[in-house]
Amino acid sequence: MIQFNKSFLALSLLALTFSACDPTTDERPLGVYDTGILILNEGAFGANDGEVTHLDPSTGTLTPSVFEKANGRPFAGLLEDLVLEEDRLYLVANTGKVEVVQPGDFKSLGAVEKGLDQPRSLATARGKLFISDYGPYDANYNTPSSYVAVVQGLDGGLVKKKIPVSSKPEDLYAFGSYVFVAASEGKKVEVLDANAELPFKTLDMPGQPVQFFELNGDLWVFCYDAQKVYFVSISKSAISQKNIRTFPIAQATGRIAKGDDDTFYVLTSSGWPDYRDGISVVNVGSGTLVSDWKKGSGFYGIGYDSDAQQIYLANAKGFQGNGEVLVYQKSGAEVNKLTVGRGPSGFFFR
Amino acid sequence: MTIALWCVFVLPFASPQDTVALAEVAVHAAALDRFAAGQTLLTYEKSTLERYAARSLGDLLQETSPIFVRQYGAGMLASPSFRGTSPGHTALFWNGVPINSISLGQSDLSILPIQATDRVEVQFGSAGALFGNEAIGGSVHLSTAPTKKEGLQGVFSQTIGSFGLNQTSLMAAYGNPTLRFQTKGYLQEQPNTFRYRDISRAGAPWERQDHAAFKQQGVLQDIWWQASSHAQVKASFWWNQAQREIQPLIGSSTQDRQADESFRAVLDYRYQKKSSVWKLKGAWMADQLQFNAQENQTRQGLLGLDWELPSAGNWALRAGVRGTWMNAQLSTYTATEQRWEAYQSLGWQEGERISVSLNLRQLAYPNELVPFLPGLGMDWRLFEIDRTSLHLKTAFGLGLKLPKLNDRYWEPGGNPNLRPEKSQNAEIGLQLKQTGNFSWSQRLTYYRMQVDDWIIWLPKGNVWIPENIREVHNQGLEYQGESSWTTGHLTWQANLAYTYSSTRDLTQEGSQQLPYSPKHQGNAGLQVKRKDLAFDLSGFYVGPRSIASGNSRILEGFALGNLGLTFSGAKWKSLQMPLRFQVLNVFNQSYQVLYLRAMPGRSYQLNLTLTL
Repeated sequence: MIQFNKSFLALSLLALTFSACDPTTDERPLGVYDTGILILNEGAFGANDGEVTHLDPSTGTLTPSVFEKANGRPFAGLLEDLVLEEDRLYLVANTGKVEVVQPGDFKSLGAVEKGLDQPRSLATARGKLFISDYGPYDANYNTPSSYVAVVQGLDGGLVKKKIPVSSKPEDLYAFGSYVFVAASEGKKVEVLDANAELPFKTLDMPGQPVQFFELNGDLWVFCYDAQKVYFVSISKSAISQKNIRTFPIAQATGRIAKGDDDTFYVLTSSGWPDYRDGISVVNVGSGTLVSDWKKGSGFYGIGYDSDAQQIYLANAKGFQGNGEVLVYQKSGAEVNKLTVGRGPSGFFFR
Repeated sequence: MTIALWCVFVLPFASPQDTVALAEVAVHAAALDRFAAGQTLLTYEKSTLERYAARSLGDLLQETSPIFVRQYGAGMLASPSFRGTSPGHTALFWNGVPINSISLGQSDLSILPIQATDRVEVQFGSAGALFGNEAIGGSVHLSTAPTKKEGLQGVFSQTIGSFGLNQTSLMAAYGNPTLRFQTKGYLQEQPNTFRYRDISRAGAPWERQDHAAFKQQGVLQDIWWQASSHAQVKASFWWNQAQREIQPLIGSSTQDRQADESFRAVLDYRYQKKSSVWKLKGAWMADQLQFNAQENQTRQGLLGLDWELPSAGNWALRAGVRGTWMNAQLSTYTATEQRWEAYQSLGWQEGERISVSLNLRQLAYPNELVPFLPGLGMDWRLFEIDRTSLHLKTAFGLGLKLPKLNDRYWEPGGNPNLRPEKSQNAEIGLQLKQTGNFSWSQRLTYYRMQVDDWIIWLPKGNVWIPENIREVHNQGLEYQGESSWTTGHLTWQANLAYTYSSTRDLTQEGSQQLPYSPKHQGNAGLQVKRKDLAFDLSGFYVGPRSIASGNSRILEGFALGNLGLTFSGAKWKSLQMPLRFQVLNVFNQSYQVLYLRAMPGRSYQLNLTLTL
């Protein structure tokens, strides 16, 4: 299952990347996919037809199947996450591999093809890849053998080590020599030592942690349970919990997008018997909450374009074929409708 | 048990006399034979079944019929799609009883070995009135028939082939005018270590398939007994077990395993007095499916009674009732259900010139009557001049599929409010035939079908639930031609078939072709025989097809060719030793039937049969 977009993290990482050098002296030509919006299409279970669609918002041009177009071969996996780090774009397939491509043209740089089970996300630290992985299912479809896989080198290769973590690790965040792991089912944030490749510390969370983000200089993690969502801030220096903001949003799905001014858009799904999906909007700073900002069905991913100040909502359309993306103004007015690949689940704003 | 039956019943009757042909066993003759006027039918000859002896029903139908078989890899799940309908829209019968899984609502053709059946018949189009539940796109009828020969008979067959194929089968039979036995056993192992191109990796390197091994074994027993001058009894048992490593998709390395085990038993009692025939049918089936550590069990009991007037002047009449009890114990639910049905068939025939069939059926399941199902068909010989005749065949019928147990009871998501899927089918065709030294037959059929309330599982938040969503309009053309002739010492047979199938999903924008519904399919074959030597060449083509709604990704069409050489001249006393060599996928095509499901390249099979 796609978690959700990492646009805010990507933007901050991009800012870090480019702040270190003078743009006027960067001789690398801008690639086709260095601008615009990358849309993650998870693909359908059993078909493994995950892919990336590129949208050029200035012209409205959509380019489907970007990976296959660039490399002449199918992605052949369920696309779980897109991570931009170290001038490389990592395509994480929860069917057991990670593809590494050049961000500008999607040309393959390498891959992690063996040794993974159900990878979910990735972070780089100390010249290594850290890949969160559910591990194999047991007889009851539980995942008691979850781990973070370590690969030496940034362009893929062999898994050299698996560090056991609590069940169902999702997002990762690297800071210095530490890698923070959102172990969702275990309701823990586990901190790994990237040098020793060993567990270092564990923080208990009030709900299932799924997504890290940076806000006002702090590291935050978004958690949820059946009744509430929690935004937990963590001190990166002390590696300890600082604050919790709690909002009474029931049946959150764990998919969020960070808007402007401490605002977050949270996808919800009511489940049986109504099966009604929605978007709630919260402001972590002011504590305001707008429930059911949008209502509907088939919501599968959400993103926020901070340049255009627009909300992108992905609808998987039952995974029967192409999915759909609706674009809204902050006022709620629909401004665009796009047909994208199968199972759109997240966005990456370049 | 089988050995014990042989000791008790067969050995005392064994006699050394030569085999003698007996009359056709009539006890289980399918309704196909008498009340299917106007329907498109395909009957496989024994010689064709022998060519596919080491293969599955899925291979046979894919390569020789207009049916598209969705093959999830070599030896993996294979499910049929008739005229653009879904795999669950096919009724499958063994000796007249439905054998589709009651929980999954379909059958896996790859674990139905050809050697376990003596006769395969295929019927196209909705025929709910004639065959009941699930006969929307068509139906497949497998049957076993005890030997027609008197005395003892034995067959041993051994096949070896590429990728580790090893198959052994045994058949022993005994027949006298009042009692006939047939016992079959088979064991097939296929490690499936074929090479394929890994198109998910840079340069598409050749890889050897891992984790796709297949092992299957089974035993069949048929007993036929002429109990009196009025009464016949036929009993059939079939145990089949298959264990498979589930072949991962290209680019992934899943390690799933599946084990299927089925036990099926059918008892037919036929009593005839004057022109009236009573038939009592009882059946018991138990299926077990283990996927990794998840176990699912289903059981089904069936009891039916029908009365028939096979020939009352120009008329034939049949009426019957059937009750089915089913029980499912799955990993997520337990359910028990009873279903009832009453049916009636009326046939009118004037010599060989015209025949008309009217079929009616009413089904009921828990507290509900489902729509009444009529079906009407006609065969009309428009003219016959010398040895050439032209026939008009037309049929109209309704079909339905009750929601399968998983649709209604699966936890979470099962939807108890589902309606049955419904279909209407009409077809009209012409068949031109010529008999004689150069005999041929050509048939062209146009069909039109509509399927409503098609059930689709859709995600709702974190749960998938089934809903009556899809409405589909299908239409198409089916051409089938065959001929046989002799030149000098050579005997020739040729066949050619082509199908055009348009399947429009009206619930999708632009009402595009349904996924995995090729518009074009075709097959051709040529056999030539000279004395004891026979050569056969066959090929089939499956056109481009989309893997999802909206034509977002199209899989290329593919064409494969097979060839075979049979030498049947090796004999020693009464022992016959036919030898057959086959090359499958002779042009070593790299292809996928379903997206990212690797299929084997060229392979070889060598079969030796000893017949006594």
